[in-house]
Amino acid sequence: MNYTFKWSVLWTGESGRWLLQGLLTTLELSALAWVLAVALGILAGALRTVRFTPLRWAATSYVEFFRNVPLLVWMFFWYFGVPPLLPRGIQDWLFNHGAEFWAGMLALGVYHGARISEVIRSGIQSIPRTQFEASVAMGLTTFQSYRLIILPVALRLIVPPATNESLNLLKNSSVALTISVAELTFQTRQIETYTAKAIEALTAGTLIYLVLCLSIATIMAKVERRYAIPGLIARVGPAA
Amino acid sequence: MEATFAVLLALALALSSAAPALAQPDTLEKIKSSGVLTIGTRTGSPPFAYINKNNEWVGFSIDLVEMLVKPSVEKAVGRSIKIEKKESTPPTRIPLLTNNSVDLIAGTMTDTPQRRESVDFSLTFFYTGAQFLVKKGSPIKGINDIAGKRIAAQQGATNAKILREKYPQAQLREFPDQPAAFQALVQGQVDAYTNDGIQLYGLKAKAPNPNDWEVVGDFYSEEPYGMAMRKGDTKFKAAVDAGLKNGFESGKYFEIYDKWFGPKGELPYPMTPQVKAYLLKQIGK
Amino acid sequence: MDVSVITSNFKFLILQGLIGIGPFIGGTLRLAIPAILLGFVLGIFVGLARLAQAPWIRMPATMYVEFFRGVPLVMVIFWIWFIIPQLLRLPIPEYGVALTAFVIFEAAYFGEIVRAGVQSVPRGQVEAATALGMTGTKTMAYVVLPQALKNMVPSLVTQMIVLFKDTSLASIIGYVDLTKAAQIVNNREIKPFQIYIFIAIVYWLCTYSMSVFARRLERRAA
Repeated sequence: MNYTFKWSVLWTGESGRWLLQGLLTTLELSALAWVLAVALGILAGALRTVRFTPLRWAATSYVEFFRNVPLLVWMFFWYFGVPPLLPRGIQDWLFNHGAEFWAGMLALGVYHGARISEVIRSGIQSIPRTQFEASVAMGLTTFQSYRLIILPVALRLIVPPATNESLNLLKNSSVALTISVAELTFQTRQIETYTAKAIEALTAGTLIYLVLCLSIATIMAKVERRYAIPGLIARVGPAA
Repeated sequence: MEATFAVLLALALALSSAAPALAQPDTLEKIKSSGVLTIGTRTGSPPFAYINKNNEWVGFSIDLVEMLVKPSVEKAVGRSIKIEKKESTPPTRIPLLTNNSVDLIAGTMTDTPQRRESVDFSLTFFYTGAQFLVKKGSPIKGINDIAGKRIAAQQGATNAKILREKYPQAQLREFPDQPAAFQALVQGQVDAYTNDGIQLYGLKAKAPNPNDWEVVGDFYSEEPYGMAMRKGDTKFKAAVDAGLKNGFESGKYFEIYDKWFGPKGELPYPMTPQVKAYLLKQIGK
Repeated sequence: MDVSVITSNFKFLILQGLIGIGPFIGGTLRLAIPAILLGFVLGIFVGLARLAQAPWIRMPATMYVEFFRGVPLVMVIFWIWFIIPQLLRLPIPEYGVALTAFVIFEAAYFGEIVRAGVQSVPRGQVEAATALGMTGTKTMAYVVLPQALKNMVPSLVTQMIVLFKDTSLASIIGYVDLTKAAQIVNNREIKPFQIYIFIAIVYWLCTYSMSVFARRLERRAA
C-alpha cells in the first residue's frame, strides 16, 4: 500500500480550523432544519388525523410527495430551481447571505418534516380515540384538545422513533455538501484535497459523526426514561 | 460507545502498521494484463472534455488520448487496448489517480511544481492563463477589481488557491465543479467565475446565450496543461510522452487542435506563435 | 413553462439514468435492485448474529450495526471510493464502489428489522419447537423466520424504499443514475426547475408503486 500516514495534518495548518467550522455548520444546519421539520411534522401529522377532508388531503399530499423523493434531488431543486423564481430583491439578499445554507436548510427541513409527520401521526393514532371524544365532551374545541391533550401525550410516546428521525436528519445534513455547504463532510473533503491524506481526513470526520450520534442517542434514551408515561407503551413504527 | 471506539482505534492502528509496500507503480504492466487504460476526465469543461448535445462524451483532451497516447501505449505493451473514461474533477483527480481508480488524468489539469510533489506530468499539451467570466457590462475588468466581490472557483483548482492566498479581500466561493460554479454565476449568486481563459471561452461558447458573457482580465497566472500520472511511473510516462511527441512532430496534434480550436472548430481560438514555439521547444524543436 | 428540455432528453434521462441502458456506466434500477437483494441477505445474517448466544458473534454484529447507524451514507461512500482501491491496489468501477457502500450500509438497517422481526415471534413458538425435538437451526429456519418475515414486511419495504432513494447519492461519485443524468442535462441547458421536478416525479412514481405493492403484500399476509 503506497501510503504514508501523517496524522499531524489534522491539527497543523488549516485542517483543525476547517473541521471545527464544518462541525459548527453541521450543527447549525441540522438544528435549524430540525425546528422546521418538527413544526411541519406536528402540523402535517396532526392534520392527517382530523376529519376535515381538504386539510387532511393537503397534509397527505405534502407528506407523500416530499418523502418519496430523494433528499439529493430536493437539495438541487431548492438551490438551483427555486431562486430564479423569486423576486430579484429576495434573490440578491439570499445570494449575499449564504443561499446554499438556506437552500440546504429548507431541503432538509421540508423533507424531514414529511418523515417526522409520519412518526407523529403514529403517535397520535396510538392514543385511544376516547381521549379525544372525552375532551370534546368536556367542551374543548378540536384545536384545543389537540394542543392540550393529544399532542403532549403523543410527543412523549414517540421519543424513540423521533430520536431516530432526528439522528437521520443530522446524518443527512452531509448531503448538503453537493450544493457547496461547508459542513463537516465537505470539510473532510477539503482537508483531503489540500493535504492528499484521505484516510486521516475521513477518520476525523467519521469519528466526529460517531461521537455526535452516540451522545445524542444516549441523552435521548435518558429523556425517554424520564418522560415515559407508565402503562402506555405504544408500538410506534419507523417512518420511511 | 466504548466498544465502537475501540474497534475504530484497532482499525486505525492496523492500517498504519500495514507495512507500506513501496513497490514502484507499473501501469504498463497493469494495462498489459487488463487491456484497459482508464482515464479521468471532465464532463463539463468544453471543449476539452464534456458531454455534448447528443449526450456523447467528447473533447480535445479525450481526442489527444484516443489518437496520440493510445497508439503509443499499445506499441509499448504489444497489444490493442480499450480506453475507459471516468469523471474526475479538480478536488477528486489526484486521489483517484493515487488510489488506482484511474491511470491517467487527461482533462484540464495545470502542471505546477507543487502538484509535481504528488504526481508526474506529461509534456504540456495546452497553454493558457487564468481570467474571469462575467456578465456583459460587469464592473469587473480584471484581477484588480475583485476586492469585496463574490468570485466562484472550483474547489482544489490552482486559481482557487491563488485567490485564497493572494487576494483574501475577494469573497471566494468554492464549487465542486465548473457547471456548478457557472450556474451560480448565471443566477447572480457570484459576480464572476475564475478559471483558465480557454475554459471560460468554452463555457461562453456553449452557454444558452453566449452574448451575455464576456471573458475579462489579463492572465493572472500561467496554466500549462499536462496529463497527470502516478509518481515514479517512468515507463508509462515515457509511453505517454512519446505519443504526444509523435503528435507534435507528425503534425497530428495540430490537426486535432484545428478540429476543436480551428476556424471551423467548436471554439475558434487560434494558437499564437509564442504558444506554438513553447510547445515545440519541449521536444527540442 | 418550457418543457422542451425534458422531451428532447427524455430518452437519455429514462434509458440511461433510470434503467442503465446507454454509453455511460449508470442506471438507478441497475444499482438499486441488486443492492436491495444483497443488502437484505447480508442483513439477515447481521440480524441473526445480533441474537446469537455466543458473544464473539454477537459483539462484532452489534458494533457493526452501531457503527453504520452512526455515520452518514455519504461518508461511507467516500471511504469505499478512496480507501478500498488503495488497500486492494486495484481500480474499482463506480458501480462496484456504490454497490458495496449501499450493501454494507443498508445491511445494518435491514439487520435491525430482522432482529425486531425475530424478537416479535412469541417465545412459545420456540419452546414448542424444542419440545417437538427440533434443533436450533431447524427451529429458526422452519418456525421462527417464516413468522418473523410476515411481521417484517412493512418495515422491510419501507427500508427498501429508503435504499432506492439513497441510490441517488451514487451520483456524487460520477455514477450516471437518474440524478446524475439530470445534472448532466442541466449543466448544459441550465433549466433546473423543470429538470429536477421531472426527476422528482419519476422517483415518486417508482417509490409510490413500491409502497402500493407493499400494502397489497401486507393485506395478503395478514
